[in-house]
Amino acid sequence: MSRTARNATVGIATAAALTFGLTACGSSGGDDVAADKKQTLTVWAMGAEGEKLADVAKVYEKANPNITVKVTPVGWDVAHQKLVSAAAAGTLPDVAQMGGSYMGEFAELGVLEPVDTKTFNEKDFFPSGWQQGEVDGQAYGVPWYVDTRVLYYRTDLAEKAGVTKAPTDWKEMQDLASAYQKKAGTKWGLSIQPSGLDTVQNFYSFLYSAGGEIVNDKGEVVIDSPEAVKALKEYGSYFDKGLSNKSVQPGYDVVKDFGNGRVPMFFGGPWHVTLLNEGQPQLKGKWAVANVPADKSSVSMAGGSSLVISKDSEHKAAATEFIKYLTDTKGQADWYKRTKDLPANTAAWTSGDLADDTNLQVFKKQMDTAKSSPSLSNWTEITDKVDQAIAKVTQGKASAEDALKTAQSEIEGLVK
Amino acid sequence: MRTMTSKAVQTAKVQAGSGASGSPATGPAGRRGGKKASMGVQNVAGWLFSTPFLVLFLVFMAFPILATLVMSFTDFGLRNVTHPLDANFIGFENYVNLFSDEKFLKSLFNTAYFVVIGVPLTIFLGLVVAVLLNNGIDRARTFFRVGFYAPVVTTIVAVAVVWRFVLDPSDGLIAGLFSEVGLTSPDFLGSETLAMPSMIAMAVWRNLGTVMVLFIAGLQAIPTEVREAARLDGAGVWQEFKGITVPLLRPTLLYATVITTIGYLNVFEEPFVMTQGGPSDSTLTVSLNMYREGFNFFHMGYASAMAYVLFVVIMGITVLQLRLLKDNTK
Repeated sequence: MSRTARNATVGIATAAALTFGLTACGSSGGDDVAADKKQTLTVWAMGAEGEKLADVAKVYEKANPNITVKVTPVGWDVAHQKLVSAAAAGTLPDVAQMGGSYMGEFAELGVLEPVDTKTFNEKDFFPSGWQQGEVDGQAYGVPWYVDTRVLYYRTDLAEKAGVTKAPTDWKEMQDLASAYQKKAGTKWGLSIQPSGLDTVQNFYSFLYSAGGEIVNDKGEVVIDSPEAVKALKEYGSYFDKGLSNKSVQPGYDVVKDFGNGRVPMFFGGPWHVTLLNEGQPQLKGKWAVANVPADKSSVSMAGGSSLVISKDSEHKAAATEFIKYLTDTKGQADWYKRTKDLPANTAAWTSGDLADDTNLQVFKKQMDTAKSSPSLSNWTEITDKVDQAIAKVTQGKASAEDALKTAQSEIEGLVK
Repeated sequence: MRTMTSKAVQTAKVQAGSGASGSPATGPAGRRGGKKASMGVQNVAGWLFSTPFLVLFLVFMAFPILATLVMSFTDFGLRNVTHPLDANFIGFENYVNLFSDEKFLKSLFNTAYFVVIGVPLTIFLGLVVAVLLNNGIDRARTFFRVGFYAPVVTTIVAVAVVWRFVLDPSDGLIAGLFSEVGLTSPDFLGSETLAMPSMIAMAVWRNLGTVMVLFIAGLQAIPTEVREAARLDGAGVWQEFKGITVPLLRPTLLYATVITTIGYLNVFEEPFVMTQGGPSDSTLTVSLNMYREGFNFFHMGYASAMAYVLFVVIMGITVLQLRLLKDNTK
């Protein structure tokens, strides 16, 4: 126990040491090297993307012999800290993959190069994908892949419960959840997170579908709006009625419980398709995806990653070319084949699996309206307050109104 | 956790030892009639040999410790990561704010709860197990020793998987026992009242081994003659335990208590992997709170102040323990 605690202390201290020690190193980026000169591009990418990108880089190197692409895979669990330390030390790679939630922070740090809008056209991408890379109206990241949450549900168990079509609104979803429990004998009706970090990700599909937001376009905090209250009440009712598990621990694997039928519904991202196909092959043909059940409309959260160029990079021209290669129609379709990451470029959806697969069309439809979080530098802290409000309601500690009123005043203090 | 602490203590001891045996070496040089040159050479050699350690110590210990102290008096936040000199000195504001921060006070309370229940339990059970292993079981002693020590060397992630299974309210081990007798299992990690006791149970289980090993070593250091003498004088098992074992075990007891307390005041991993501080902050400890303020929200100045408050608390309690327990041995 104390080892990690000590690491935390030392880590904080080291961050200080680094920052106090290395201020002089924040160079303003020397002479830029032209794209056709011989050079090495350093690229950081996270998780599975980091591994697969090296293959793509090899193909790219063959077509562009003057460029050597050096890909460093970074684990998601350490990605944020590594990027922050690199930003502090002025050692960011030329190109980095960045999660949507990081953008606000890094833009505030002033370490990102604005996107060259002559090369990259906003119209080519899903609006929410593009918005993720934007901070205060300025684009810093080119959308690489997108993801959104849709409803996964067991069709075989639904049949048993006497339901033959996907739920389209809140009432149908709750009816289906209780039918699953009563008639198909499932343990739970719907898997949503009751508390803990990032509970808000489960809540988004309720909040957005009701027409609510945490912070609106004008930068006003609106988490205590009637829409948000309605959404949280609906969310909380699943726990009140025993349709959802009040006790979900960190590291819970919903795919396993979906496979054994204890959980017949959950909100999942595109990667769950692969997880289900590979991890639960016995389920083939027994599940489907559906758009998020609607209240006012069906709106889900948008996630994904963007590609950014470091302000200090001396290879901006080549980096731009490389990002263009990764985000144009051909590159995106190829990337989908390799990773099953959903293309951020809408034109990539017009051929192959992406155009034909019915499951994927559900994702595409959801993406058209999906909403991305505002790029605020302290977004983690803001959502933490919403997480706490959700926890209070799901644990029966407060009403949705009171919990959100508290969150409202706390978040107002953070947004300023 | 305390594998680390005890290692650190051992290294400290070794260093202290080598320092002591090193210093007489300058003696002969002095006796040789003020040959300043050779003393100088020896000094240079000494510095040279200790340079690697000194450099590492200064860079990775002394400087960060100092920097944290400086940072705790600033409003160091996210934007200061790239522009550290823009951080403003705000005096004791962070420290003042800490004591009106409900979350911090709650984490302080949780940590105290953890220590007050956890330390005596760990020490007591560790002692019981050690005494049993030392006297009672003859055949499978090694087996049990390894069994009790295994949790200490197991990574927390593996431990978490096991404990989640044990505590899972729907199909865990304990839930199974409950349903055997027709009861529903309480939701250990999902309940505000039960989450902390569950954490404590897990920590005690995990750290028992370290304390046990210390006590076994202490018990085996008690000379058999003393025991035999006591027995000849007609002392019973209990009298022997009270009159011989406990007093002679006091130094070990002191050491075990101090390091367990320090370890538990720093408790981080158990809540981090099991509950993330929830539900409703009921398992949020000071270390976890500090980690979240620092690395999730980038309130570096604030987190540094927290680190120093924790440091002062730990130092205070340790000094107090050393005084109280040492005086008793006299």
